This record gives sequence, C-alpha cells and structure tokens, in this order.
Amino acid sequence: MLSAFRSALATPDLRRKILFTLGIVIAYRIGATLPSPGVSYPNVQKCVADFENQGVYQLLSLFSGGALLKLSVFALGIMPYITASIIIQLLTVVIPRFEQLKKEGQSGQNKLTQYTRYLTVALAILQATGIVAMADRGQLFGNCAEKVIPDSTVWTLAIVVIVMTAGTSLIMWLGELITERGIGNGMSLLIFVNIAARIPAEGGNILSSHGGVVFGVICVVGLVIIASVIFVEQGQRRIPVQYAKRMIGRRMYGGTSTYLPLKVNQAGVIPVIFASSLLYLPDLISRLVGNGSAGWQRFIATYLVDQGNPVHILAYFALIIFFTYFYITITFNVNERADEMKKFGGFIPGIRPGRPTSEYLSHVLSRITLPGSIYLGIVAILPNFFLSLTGSGQNQNFPFGGTAVLIMVGVGLDTVKQIESQLMQRNYEGFLR
Amino acid sequence: MILAMQIGAIVTSLILVVLVLLHRGRGGGLSSLFGGGMQSSLSGSSVVEKNLDRITLFFGAIWLICIIGLGLLAKV
Repeated sequence: MLSAFRSALATPDLRRKILFTLGIVIAYRIGATLPSPGVSYPNVQKCVADFENQGVYQLLSLFSGGALLKLSVFALGIMPYITASIIIQLLTVVIPRFEQLKKEGQSGQNKLTQYTRYLTVALAILQATGIVAMADRGQLFGNCAEKVIPDSTVWTLAIVVIVMTAGTSLIMWLGELITERGIGNGMSLLIFVNIAARIPAEGGNILSSHGGVVFGVICVVGLVIIASVIFVEQGQRRIPVQYAKRMIGRRMYGGTSTYLPLKVNQAGVIPVIFASSLLYLPDLISRLVGNGSAGWQRFIATYLVDQGNPVHILAYFALIIFFTYFYITITFNVNERADEMKKFGGFIPGIRPGRPTSEYLSHVLSRITLPGSIYLGIVAILPNFFLSLTGSGQNQNFPFGGTAVLIMVGVGLDTVKQIESQLMQRNYEGFLR
Repeated sequence: MILAMQIGAIVTSLILVVLVLLHRGRGGGLSSLFGGGMQSSLSGSSVVEKNLDRITLFFGAIWLICIIGLGLLAKV
C-alpha cells in the first residue's frame, strides 16, 4: 500500500496531476471560508454557534461543507450543478430533442453538458436570491437576534447574489479543470472534499458531548459501515458474452469471450439524493409561505421534517427504492445493450440475440437491483437511529452513515481506480489487489 | 472607495460567469458523477481554451481582490 503511494508520487505526470488536484481543492476550501461582501462575519459566527443546522438546509449544507451557513462566496457549492444535471438527465426522457442528442454520441453529449452549464447558472441565481432573501429576513438561522447582513439595501443584497452566482460558476470551472487535468471526476471530488471537511468538527462534537467511549464505539461502527459499503459497491454480476469469430479481409476478429458487468448498486447515490431533495421540498414550501401553523404545515412538520418519525423514515426508504428502479431504467437501456451486442456479433451463451437477450438482461437487472435498492435504503436511513447521539436534524451530516458515506466511498473508489489505471502504465503494483 | 470596489466586484462577477460559460464543458454530466460511467480523457486543450484559462484566472484574481478588499473595508 505504502509503496504504491510512493510509486504514485514518483511518476512525474501522475505527481503533477495529484498536486494540481490538491492545489485546486485548497483554493476551493479557501473560497468556502471567504465571506461574501456585505455579510457580517462575526454576526454569522454568533448565529451559527447557537443554531443547530436543522430542517431545510441539511442536504444543501452537506454538499457545501458548511459554506452555506457562513454565507461565503462559494456558499451554493456544487448543488446547482447537481440539480441542473439531474434535471437535464430527467428531461432526456421527456424531450425528444434531448434524447436525440444523447444518442448522437460525443458531440451530442457535449451539447447536453453545455445546456447543463447554462441551467446551472440560472439555478445559481435563483438559489442565491432565495438564500439571501431568507438571510435578510432572518429565517436562515431560525430565530437569531443578530443581523446577518447589517446593511440590507437592495444594492448590497444584489451584490451578494451576483457574487455568489459568480462563485458557483467558478466552482464549476474548478471542477472541470480537475476532470480535465487532474485525477478523478472534478465535481464529485469537490463534493467529497466538502463532506470530508465536516468530519473532524462532527467527531469533535460527539467527543466533547458524549465522552471517549461512545466516540470510540462510533468510530468502530463507522469503519464497519464503510467496509460493508465498499463490499456492496464492488459487487457485480458478470454475464458472460461470447463474440463470434469473423474474417474481414485477411484479419480474424472477435472470438473472444468477455462479460457484461452488472453492479449490485448500478444507480450509485443518485436515488438517495433524489429522495432527500424530494422530501425537503414540502418543508421548503411551507417555510416560504410563512411560519403559520395551518393544519398542513403542522402535518409536514410532524411527519416529513422530524427525522425520528417512523413515517418519515418509511417514506424515505420507499422513495429510495422507487428512485433506484426509476434511475436504472433511465440510464441502463436494456434494448440498446442487446442491439449493440447483436451488431458486433456477440451473444450470451444459451440465449438468442435480439429481443430474448434484452428480456434476459432486464430480468437479471431487476432481480439484482432489489438487494441493491434495499441496501441503499438501509444505509441512508441508518443515521436516523443514531439521532440521540448526533442531535436531531444533523443526521445527513453525520459522517459515518447515510448519504455522506455513500458519496465518499463511491468517489474515493472511483478516484483510486483512476490513479491505479495511470499507475498501470508504468508498473503493475497498484493500491487494490 | 467602497462603491468602486462594489462596482468592480459586480463587473468582474458578470465577466466571470460569461467566461466560464464560454469554456468547453467537461465532465459529461451526471452519469460520471458519483462513480459509474467511463472516463474519456482524450484530446488536449486547444489554444483557445488555454487563452480562455488565462483570462479567467486574471479576472478571478481581480474578483478575489475586490471581495477581500470589501471585507477588509467593512471591518474597519
């Protein structure tokens, strides 16, 4: 393991890539602590101190690594980009033109990415306006006495919104730079950094309020959870595919037998993100309408916002399972795979090419997704049972369970695999054996 | 002074947004987020892209200076 690290750093171009990535991450973290112009930093500190981040913004603040509550330049973090890509991804099913672009291959994909970028900026303006308005009305921090933005003229507020929008587009650029010249996928790496940045603070929180023994137990449990998540993430069903031999000119092609890997958790963490964003929507609406205590608002507060409520946990679980299936049917097109196989002279032994193959694939996929979706649901709701330790409302930020672990493990594995494939070009000993 | 800085921050922010949008999109959207999906890190950056990088960095620096300056002025 250590020798692999050394050889990774000894390879010149890999070292340059790793250092480049580290440099961008550092720049990003610095930006995340830089307060926006017009925001009073001491007042924000005071408010954050007596405000347990509860309710609406837990997902947002998880993805922004605490930058949101500081109202920093990078307050919105990567969230607008994620939302934009989710929307575009869903629209490919609805809008025929998008579907056409997706099928077009690389150039169409580039166009879709460009649309995602435009949408990101639009969403950034929207979210920045919303957050600044909430901060100005004092709703962002529950009932905090201090004024977060002391000089609340339209001019100052507009500056904050514009600066935050520029910050979001800058983050987008940083992420793309990492993807292009660094290691791993930039966007997911930045999310990883945000989540990892919270771990020391959360750990310290638990240590100071519950003592060393509980802290030790939590660390062990966390490690076990991480290990089991890695175990499931790596699991895949390998469907054998045989390619027919054929002669083209004088050359012999094909005749190889490979396999089509179907991961147990084909969907990644996206179902979890979908489900939690959907669950926080009603709460957001009821807060925007005003802090009245109408019947439906009380209903939302008891059943949907309260993390410990069984109804909330059940709804979350069911939504995750639904979205896992939904997302897999969108992203993994069984008919397309079967057609591709047929085109290149491949077949699954014992099954005819064409429609029977696609039926077989969808059969296997739906079977293998069931444990995958249940696993996703369990990992995501796990922290809801630790509420007494982490304080209510913090569960998604709890670094040893839920969304955070899923994302961290997914991104970490991906990045290590990419470093390893780069190492393979030089020598064969990698991190994973 | 503060007004000048504020105007500077607004102008550089707008320029930054436009410049970033001018870049060629990389990353391939959601499919490559959070693991899964294949990486295609082909094709180096073109001259246009390189110059765009430089200009973006330049305006980013000015933007940063404006924001830090505003923060410092507000404290005093």
